Amino acid sequence: MSVVKLKDNKPEPVAYSDAALRNNAVVVEYCRTSMAALSGSTAGVLGLTGLNGFAFYVFSVVVLWVMFMIKAGPNWHKYYVSRQSLLTSGFFGALFTYVLFWTFIYGMVHVY
Amino acid sequence: MASFHKIIVIVGFISLFHSAFSAAQHRSYLRITSQEFTTLPLDIVVQAVSSLFAVMWGVLNVAGNLREIRAAAELNNIKWETQRNLPSFYIFNHRGRALAYDYIPSAGKAELENLDS
Amino acid sequence: MAELLLDPNIRLWVFLPIVIITFLVGIVRHYVSIILSSQKKIELLQVQDSQVMIRARLLRENGKYLPRQSFAMRRHWFNNEETGYFKVQKRAATSQNPMTDPGMMTDMLKGNVTNVLPMIVIGGWINWMFSGFLTTKVPFPLTLRFKPMLQRGVELAYLDASWVSSASWYFLNVFGLRTIYALVLGENNAADQSKIMQEQMSGAAMAMPPDPKAAFKAEWEALEITEHKWALATIETDLLASFVEKEKTH
Repeated sequence: MSVVKLKDNKPEPVAYSDAALRNNAVVVEYCRTSMAALSGSTAGVLGLTGLNGFAFYVFSVVVLWVMFMIKAGPNWHKYYVSRQSLLTSGFFGALFTYVLFWTFIYGMVHVY
Repeated sequence: MASFHKIIVIVGFISLFHSAFSAAQHRSYLRITSQEFTTLPLDIVVQAVSSLFAVMWGVLNVAGNLREIRAAAELNNIKWETQRNLPSFYIFNHRGRALAYDYIPSAGKAELENLDS
Repeated sequence: MAELLLDPNIRLWVFLPIVIITFLVGIVRHYVSIILSSQKKIELLQVQDSQVMIRARLLRENGKYLPRQSFAMRRHWFNNEETGYFKVQKRAATSQNPMTDPGMMTDMLKGNVTNVLPMIVIGGWINWMFSGFLTTKVPFPLTLRFKPMLQRGVELAYLDASWVSSASWYFLNVFGLRTIYALVLGENNAADQSKIMQEQMSGAAMAMPPDPKAAFKAEWEALEITEHKWALATIETDLLASFVEKEKTH
């Protein structure tokens, strides 16, 4: 399943099941929202401030992506259309959740 | 297997809460002793981050299974009996029903036209 | 900027309650909107119409596989001048304006009641109940531009911009917790699944013509000009010829 082979296959279209695509998108969205909330809470517990906190967000996004890859195994082509979009999609949407939880737990733990 | 991952999630949550609590305690201790806050103790940091990873991994497995996105993959599981099930060829108005013992002949086309009455 | 020290009681009685109230109000709103939402009812007549349309289209497209007499019989049932289905059925032209449709109006009203009203009421209540507290501090530096956004209700010119007042904390929660609702309620998940099931069950019948009268007329015309050409007229010779071909290649 190399990239070269994919390009060879390009002329013949690959049919994707719409329901399965949507199911996978729901699962990914679920994990992403949970990840944002949890890593936000952790950042708040650790008392990260400023750029450190945003670096932590990027770090946990990458960790989640790696976990997806581990779960899917070597033949990730069966589950996702592209790996890159899995990494980048919804990056800023989840960021808001992350910041909210970060602020919340930071306030609970460190401000008072 | 799913229950195992649920346990991971729950334990991770408890651990995360515990580390949050420890951090708050540490913070208030620093305030009482009027020391400057620099970083948290290493054990709290390790506990928080490792419980974060545990919960993430648990959530990933609890969230549900990924389905194969190739349309052909789903079709492979269909039995051939199911393939013969064609909704377009359903007949609900077969003349054979006239043979049933409790058949009441309809009055004709007028009945079809006044369906809503 | 000197470090401010907040009373821990504020954390317990202002900061936390706002989060919990916002969260629970969102959940209650979700269930109230489920109660209020009316299932889209499908009239029996509309289903009948759409199924008839499907049948007429199938007849037009695949009628060539029927013997001439069968085709004529089916077309007669649809198109006969006196008794044909498309001629006999009289459908009132539906009104296009959604404003005149009372069902649409109540739907819009319900949407407003469940979305806007709680936000105003709870927002006002929180503003009145928890007014004038500094609740928390965002853990990253912000410019002064954010001050009116984050410090509503606390007008202090020299306060650092990263402090958040209680009213603003409520609004941050309102906007930030939306994704969490989707997570907790799982509504997208459940609703989507059932929707897919429904679509599979009823299939094309759901796609109803908006104006049955015009659709019937168009279908009547299309059916009227369809010319029957039996595709299987020479089937015996074709089959035999194909066998002969096969024999030859062996």
